[in-house]
Amino acid sequence: MTTRHSQFLRQSVAGLIIVLASGCSHWIELSDQATPLSPSQTTISSNLRVPLLLETIHITQNGAPVAIPPALERQVLGALESTRLFSQYFQSGYEQPASHEPRVTVRLTMNTHIDPHPGETAWSGFVIGASMFLLSPVIWFDYDYGTEMVLEAERWDGQTKQYTASSSGSAHYYLFGASPHVIEELKGQVTDTCLTSLLDQLVRDAPLYLADSSPPSETTIHTVSVGARRSGTDVHPVSTSPPASSQ
Amino acid sequence: MAVLATSVHAADPVPEITIGTQEVGLSAGYLLPERLTKHHVTKQQGPAFMPSWMITLTDPIGDSWYRGQVSIGAEVVYIQFQEPVLTHGVGFNPKIKYTFVADNRIRPYVEFAGGPFWTDLGNKIPEESSELNFILTAGVGISFFVTSQASINVGYRFQHFSNAGTSYPNYGINSSLPFGGFSYFF
Repeated sequence: MTTRHSQFLRQSVAGLIIVLASGCSHWIELSDQATPLSPSQTTISSNLRVPLLLETIHITQNGAPVAIPPALERQVLGALESTRLFSQYFQSGYEQPASHEPRVTVRLTMNTHIDPHPGETAWSGFVIGASMFLLSPVIWFDYDYGTEMVLEAERWDGQTKQYTASSSGSAHYYLFGASPHVIEELKGQVTDTCLTSLLDQLVRDAPLYLADSSPPSETTIHTVSVGARRSGTDVHPVSTSPPASSQ
Repeated sequence: MAVLATSVHAADPVPEITIGTQEVGLSAGYLLPERLTKHHVTKQQGPAFMPSWMITLTDPIGDSWYRGQVSIGAEVVYIQFQEPVLTHGVGFNPKIKYTFVADNRIRPYVEFAGGPFWTDLGNKIPEESSELNFILTAGVGISFFVTSQASINVGYRFQHFSNAGTSYPNYGINSSLPFGGFSYFF
């Protein structure tokens, strides 16, 4: 009898732990992955690189224009810089590249779509409350986020090219796993995936953005490995170059 | 070397309440009798204390004056009945709240709560015959945000408790509960 009781107690404790653990969890699913291109990586002569100017970032959320979150601005600049495709990186409104030198100007448009399922969420919350929170480990909430990005790159001679990418995903979480970080994590992953795809396309056109008319100034040619940063990983350059002489 | 510019943003005084933002609060008020029928004769009254916890479930819904957020949570209700006889009541109430967010700092809300409520006032008054009861609450209030994470709240609640027909008589007790309190958001 005592053995049966202790077994029941152990199973109850294990069950409680599982319930509590699952009640605090969340998970993220990325769907409609941006175009699954193989990672583009190439080596270019470092002295052919030109500066890049990020002129504008335009964002809409469910069709309405919104202010640019500073974190996103940094994320875009960081992703562009990690391609190592350009010699310097400037942002509109701050220090500018010299007007006489060739440069590439990029404009980014992001159309984001959010579906927090408010009706289902409110109803689920009511049911959880009515159950005295007993159903909180088995009822989860959904939050969908998607983005479409258009990157317009303009060469110093006026030639422009557009790149597009899209990505979306869903966050699922239980009541006690609800956190602003879950939503930020979802948005970050979707944005990162989309940016990676976009910059992959840009890197594939690397020759288009090199100052091909510039003659090598030294007998030794310094090269740099360029490529879009893979989501969640760092780019490890094959070779590096000294700072460009224009700086 | 790459040139990366960073921008500096001033601290934003607007409360940033998003999905998963939690709220802990304490409200206190004074219970007053509402004798709605001829069967209700007890003039119960006394102070009430309500510590609470809530979690925000949605980002703002809607685009007009009713734009707001849904949160759920629970509160413990303690009432010291000073009239008609000194007794006590304790309850645990899951609650749901809709907060209007059209204004940044002054945010009205409506709330509903309900749950078990034990009180030794039962058996001592003609309306109620048991100590184990269930309480139902509907209320309105206004939160005034003094910082982006803290608010002062005032409001009014209508409370009803009865024993769900588990014993008779069961006319129930109705009360008004004006209250004030504060909340901290994190």
